[in-house]
Amino acid sequence: MALLSLEKVSVAYENQYILQNFDLSVEKGQLISLLGPSGCGKTTTLRLIAGFLEAKEGKFLLNGKDYTRIPVNKRNFGFVFQNYALFPHLSVYDNVAFGLRLRKVKEPEIRQRVTKVLDAVSLAGFEQRFPKALSGGQRQRVAIARALVIEPDLLLFDEPLSNLDANLRVSMRVEIRRIQQELGITTIYVSHDQEECFSISDRVAIMNKGIIEQLDRPAAIFKYPKTEFVARFIGFNNFIDFEQRSDSGDEIELKAKDRIFRAVRHPGMSGANGRKGAIRPDDIVVGTPEEIEAGVGCLTGRVKVSTFLGRSYQYVVETELGSFTANKEMESPFLSGQEVRLFFPREKLVLVE
Amino acid sequence: MKKKVLVLLLPGLLFLTAFMLVPIVITVGSTFVHDGAFTLEGYMHFFGDTFFLKILFTTLEVSLVTTLMCIVLGFPVAYYISRRGRRQKSLLLALAIFPLLTSSVVRSFSWMIILGKKGLLNNALIALGLIKEPMDILYTPAAMMIGLVHLFLPLIIITLVGVMENIDPDLIKAAESLGASRFSAFRKVIVPLSVPGLIIGSILVFVGSLTAYTTPALLGGKQKVISTFLYQNAITLNDWYSASVIATIMMAITFAVIAIMNKIANTLNPKG
Amino acid sequence: MQENNRGLGLFTLLVYLFLLGPLVIIALSSFEPGTVLKFPPTGFSLRWYQKIFEVEMFMKTFKTSMAVSLLGNLFALLLGIPAAYALSRFPFKGKDALNAVFLSPVLIPGIVLGFTMLKFLIVTYHLPIYTGLLVGHTVVMLPFIIRVVESSLANFDFAVEEAALSLGAGRLQTFFRVVLPNIKSGIIAAVLIAFLESFNNVDISVFMTGPGVSTLPIQMLTYVENYFDPTIAAISVLLMALTAVLMFVIERLMGLSYFTKR
Repeated sequence: MALLSLEKVSVAYENQYILQNFDLSVEKGQLISLLGPSGCGKTTTLRLIAGFLEAKEGKFLLNGKDYTRIPVNKRNFGFVFQNYALFPHLSVYDNVAFGLRLRKVKEPEIRQRVTKVLDAVSLAGFEQRFPKALSGGQRQRVAIARALVIEPDLLLFDEPLSNLDANLRVSMRVEIRRIQQELGITTIYVSHDQEECFSISDRVAIMNKGIIEQLDRPAAIFKYPKTEFVARFIGFNNFIDFEQRSDSGDEIELKAKDRIFRAVRHPGMSGANGRKGAIRPDDIVVGTPEEIEAGVGCLTGRVKVSTFLGRSYQYVVETELGSFTANKEMESPFLSGQEVRLFFPREKLVLVE
Repeated sequence: MKKKVLVLLLPGLLFLTAFMLVPIVITVGSTFVHDGAFTLEGYMHFFGDTFFLKILFTTLEVSLVTTLMCIVLGFPVAYYISRRGRRQKSLLLALAIFPLLTSSVVRSFSWMIILGKKGLLNNALIALGLIKEPMDILYTPAAMMIGLVHLFLPLIIITLVGVMENIDPDLIKAAESLGASRFSAFRKVIVPLSVPGLIIGSILVFVGSLTAYTTPALLGGKQKVISTFLYQNAITLNDWYSASVIATIMMAITFAVIAIMNKIANTLNPKG
Repeated sequence: MQENNRGLGLFTLLVYLFLLGPLVIIALSSFEPGTVLKFPPTGFSLRWYQKIFEVEMFMKTFKTSMAVSLLGNLFALLLGIPAAYALSRFPFKGKDALNAVFLSPVLIPGIVLGFTMLKFLIVTYHLPIYTGLLVGHTVVMLPFIIRVVESSLANFDFAVEEAALSLGAGRLQTFFRVVLPNIKSGIIAAVLIAFLESFNNVDISVFMTGPGVSTLPIQMLTYVENYFDPTIAAISVLLMALTAVLMFVIERLMGLSYFTKR
């Protein structure tokens, strides 16, 4: 059974729904990311779980207990903020000890636990510093330590790395994953950075307009997006609307304007009942009509735009099924207006809803 | 959420309502009612009374001259301060703010020492042979104006400095590079960009002068202005109806001035 | 950035002479040994300083002024801090209008405020004069408290509040343990600014005098009408010293930029 579940939750702000009939469940010990463009409801979901927002309808259960109406300060969740939100008037030590003091923990035990957690985030020796004397990465570590020390039932991250520079982001996310796995603490992580979410999560929920489009393991999402939105979001730039489809076993035959394409049904393909085909620019094979023989999965067109990407060239090719973007590594590029043929390999063509 | 906000605001709101808003609204309202009927009699009486009109005009004249003097003296000084380095600017600002925080009684009183018949100014002028007999300056509108300029000049200076220090100094360099002389750069760049500060400063000075009590009371002698006239009617003559009418007129002028100046500020705003 | 402009520099010097000269003159003439205030003073004496402490009315009105300003300040804080917090913390309809209401005591001519308060607090509500004085001064101080506290809350990151809540602090605990410590210096500055505003107030106090009740500035006004000895000059020096000290503290706490912003 899931540790955490949101059941038919709705959140509205000034009579406008941000979440409606929203469901989510998280297994114990997992790190799940909520990923999506701004305004998709990911932060709202996180703040709802934290207790900063109240659900208008629906239920929030944790460990079987109803948390829907429990106020934020009675929830015992650790929350890590985007801008760290350290107490500016307190030292690192007192920042971390804050939650323990509220819980009336005895001073010797506080000292022991604060020391241990600061050790875990590699900040031993910084106890007496004040937040303004710390770097961004150090502040974020204090924020994590402060959230961890209360031994929270749930750890919540709201875009914790977005204020750090690129290198630090990479090393911090490794560290967050390490700490999370060491402590086995159930974690919900919000970000708009794909790479970040995919690299640290057990599962990723791609959100759009207040609903979860797909919730799956990172690799599964990356390979087999369920919906067009998810596909676009993770880089499938090319879509074909098919008019006919006929399945025989795992083989699927598709038709658009009398052109025939083939795709393969894969066990992990969650949107496999759709009629829309999606493919990444890297996966389309592009060549001259001489190089690629016409046939199933092929389409002829003219190069409209050609862009140098560094390692490869990117072409926008106009065909009778619309324009497609395809990448190819080559010495001398195709010219604008040149006739080329595109081939859509059946194992790369993914069907989405 | 709404409830939370209300709980926090309510004590202050109730306090202001009971002790400020209600008294003012009822005072104003009472001037329009006589024997249970609506009337403008009180106002007709005042605006038909040359004695009151003279007081009103003196007040407006004193306030207007004070405001103009403050602008003429304050504008260049504010510009000078705003172009100083940090340390000098802080010092000059502090020296302007200090009088502002000092009691108006003390500041007006200081002019009694200077402007009196045997005061510093008359003594100096006689010693220099410029006049033979001491002049009557104290207890005249001129003394009021001097006292009021002294009272409000710091206000316009610091307000203008606040606006001018946000004007990018490169703008002047840009204007000069386009062929403007330093003075015309000042006139075409600094002056228009200072207009919002100038208007706010002028409102503060004009309204402040219009309603000031201490300075006219100490330096004006027998010459009344509306604030001292209000006091006289309320306390000395115990004529509360007249005092209420004067209070209403004062507020009306104050709000009218603020409204008009804001209107001007909106049409003049260089940012459109 | 500095520009050299001698004419402008000289002009500024003269204007500052006009602003500060009278205060220097008052200070110097307070040492006049004779019974008539003169400048320049004819000698050096501290007798008028001594006299302040011998005149009962000065001591009494000083105490009244102190009591009213301090107690009124406390009331203004109790009313003003929650209001300033609500106005800065939460978005809600009609916020600008409410803000204007809270700042309105500075907009209404002081003398009008004083008169209407006399009419209502003393005559209609039958408050004792002393209480009326206290209420009047609280009204005068409230906008200053609200404005200064609002400006220090403007620099406060309210996410910090959520952090405290998520760590288990209640609403009040959060306010006292997290918000208050971070706007402490703003509040002290607000108290001092409001104190000066109240302590120097004439417009309200002049209407709220009665048997045995008056404030120091009003007592000074009355004294000046009847005597022209250097006592008032001596008191002025003490008041200026107090002002200078408080201004220094305000500068330390929040700089002087508060005054230049409108």
